[in-house]
Amino acid sequence: MELLNLAWKNLWRSRRRTLITLAAVSFSLMLVQGSHNLSFGVYSAMIDSGVRAGTGHLVVYQRDYVDSRDEKFSFAPQQLVEQIGQLDGVEAVLPRLFLPGLAQSTRESRGVLVTGVDSQAEQRINPFLKGMSLEQLPSLSGREAVVGSRLLKELQLKPGNKFVVTLQSRDGELVSEMFRVHSVVTTGMKNIDKSLLLVGRERAARLAGIPGEIQELAVVLRDQQAEQAVYPKLQRLLKDRPQLRALSWTEAMPNLSNAIKLDYASSQFIFIILLLIVTIGVINTLLMSVMERFKEFGVILAVGASALRLRILVFAEAFLLGVVAMVLGSVFGSLLTWYLQAVGIDLRDFMEGNLEFGGVVFDPIMRASWDWPYMLQIAFFMLLLSLVAAIYPAIKAGRILPAEALRHH
Amino acid sequence: MSLIELKSVSKIYPLGNQQVVAVANLSLKIKAGEFTVLAGPSGSGKTTLLNLIGCLDQPSEGEVWLDGHNVGKEEAKQLAKLRLNKIGFIFQSYNLIPVLTAAENAEFTLMLLGIDKVKRRQRIVELFAELGLQGLEDRNPSDLSGGQQQRVAIARAMAAQPAVILADEPTASLDLQTSEDLLALMQRLNETQGVTFVFSSHDPLVISHARRVVSLRDGCLESDR
Repeated sequence: MELLNLAWKNLWRSRRRTLITLAAVSFSLMLVQGSHNLSFGVYSAMIDSGVRAGTGHLVVYQRDYVDSRDEKFSFAPQQLVEQIGQLDGVEAVLPRLFLPGLAQSTRESRGVLVTGVDSQAEQRINPFLKGMSLEQLPSLSGREAVVGSRLLKELQLKPGNKFVVTLQSRDGELVSEMFRVHSVVTTGMKNIDKSLLLVGRERAARLAGIPGEIQELAVVLRDQQAEQAVYPKLQRLLKDRPQLRALSWTEAMPNLSNAIKLDYASSQFIFIILLLIVTIGVINTLLMSVMERFKEFGVILAVGASALRLRILVFAEAFLLGVVAMVLGSVFGSLLTWYLQAVGIDLRDFMEGNLEFGGVVFDPIMRASWDWPYMLQIAFFMLLLSLVAAIYPAIKAGRILPAEALRHH
Repeated sequence: MSLIELKSVSKIYPLGNQQVVAVANLSLKIKAGEFTVLAGPSGSGKTTLLNLIGCLDQPSEGEVWLDGHNVGKEEAKQLAKLRLNKIGFIFQSYNLIPVLTAAENAEFTLMLLGIDKVKRRQRIVELFAELGLQGLEDRNPSDLSGGQQQRVAIARAMAAQPAVILADEPTASLDLQTSEDLLALMQRLNETQGVTFVFSSHDPLVISHARRVVSLRDGCLESDR
């Protein structure tokens, strides 16, 4: 305790130097915590948007569908939709059917991806359908269609117009059916807006000659963290149907997952550089402090302190510096996170249109989310770095020869 | 039996390609309770000899014995223990730790010995009373005069009741009156408490107070009277 007291007093010998070092360390910690929480919030929003528009947090496919995307890998969900819907933590179960085809108006024709959906379930979840009422969406077996805005323009259609969809049915025959533009949707992603065509799932399945079948059963969870708990339960439900396979969103949407990983890795790299610079700063402070007290350390050794005790003193100074920086940095980091969560960063002033990343459109106002475990972890890591920074100065202090130090002026 | 015994001790320092002989083949015995001055001009080897006795340095040749311990044979850790338990140091420029108060400086060795705070403070109160430092316990060294700082240094040296107190030119930074007072104080401590003092000094005042004067010249023993 006395040693900590002495270390504390030693820290404030050079008040300005200690304050500058503290500011550098705590500011870095604030930046790392704040920017990580911002990324965490943006990634969470992207994942949420991605899973709701895409595969869900968990998804059920015929075994090879995820790799081949071949429409022949369809299956009848039977009781699965109800059974999965009853699992704890599941918000919605979305059966979907995807069929490549050709949409023809009287003037133009375009390649499309006909997506058969259950509007009732989809409307609550799918961000593409945000703001649309159930009446604006296709019924399960009706001829209404929701069309992507670019596709509508390219086909030179207007709401209410009719058009024909042609696709290959399961038995290899070309089949056509007429649909009517019921609503128009703009996702912000060019490719999707050029090819999106939502129709009732049952109508699409009958057209493709696979009535009652689907290709994807997207499971959206109330909380992303529930994935670990729901996944094994889902697998248990599938154990009697070995041709079906449950995947997490990271496997089903590798583009989004990899884009996030890459972005996170690059920010981690910047964090590492920042922490390295801070560590060098702390080493400099501690080393200067040791060298300035060369004679005093000689006196302390002369009156009976061991080299080990002197090293512990240097570590105690680094520890206290680290603790103060950890507390200050975490307070500032929390304030920054709070601001970034409450106000966020509005990117609409910097760029036009919607923001797309990893195949997902997300909110142009970036907002942070609290990642407490990471904040604690990085705060303690900063403390550890302060102690690591003390190794060389402590070794140096321990090597001081008292007789030599006492001659030092 | 001698408290301190030097047997044919030499200390040689390398200086570039040359070697400087600071102490040459010196033998000396100091008994407990002595009040001895190592006298001699600058460069005569006084401080080197004091460093050897004080376990701050080890001899190049010969043996230095302190209270039954062969200093030259001990490990650094053991030497630190010896310094803590057997030796008190007083330096020319006081060398108090500036961030500690007078009392904290004085009890520093007791803290190193692991003695609890209450007992430490009790001992310091007694010492401060004896050394005329009452009321200065909570002052910082920078708020004390040179004489007061040296008294605090004496308190630090005496706190752990060492076998010997080594004082390197203790009056060199003090005025005549303060030097006189301090020497009288140390003499009293020697006479009443039997504290062994070994000084290094070329100050005639210090030499005049000594009961034994060991004169050195060029690292060799010139006289012992």
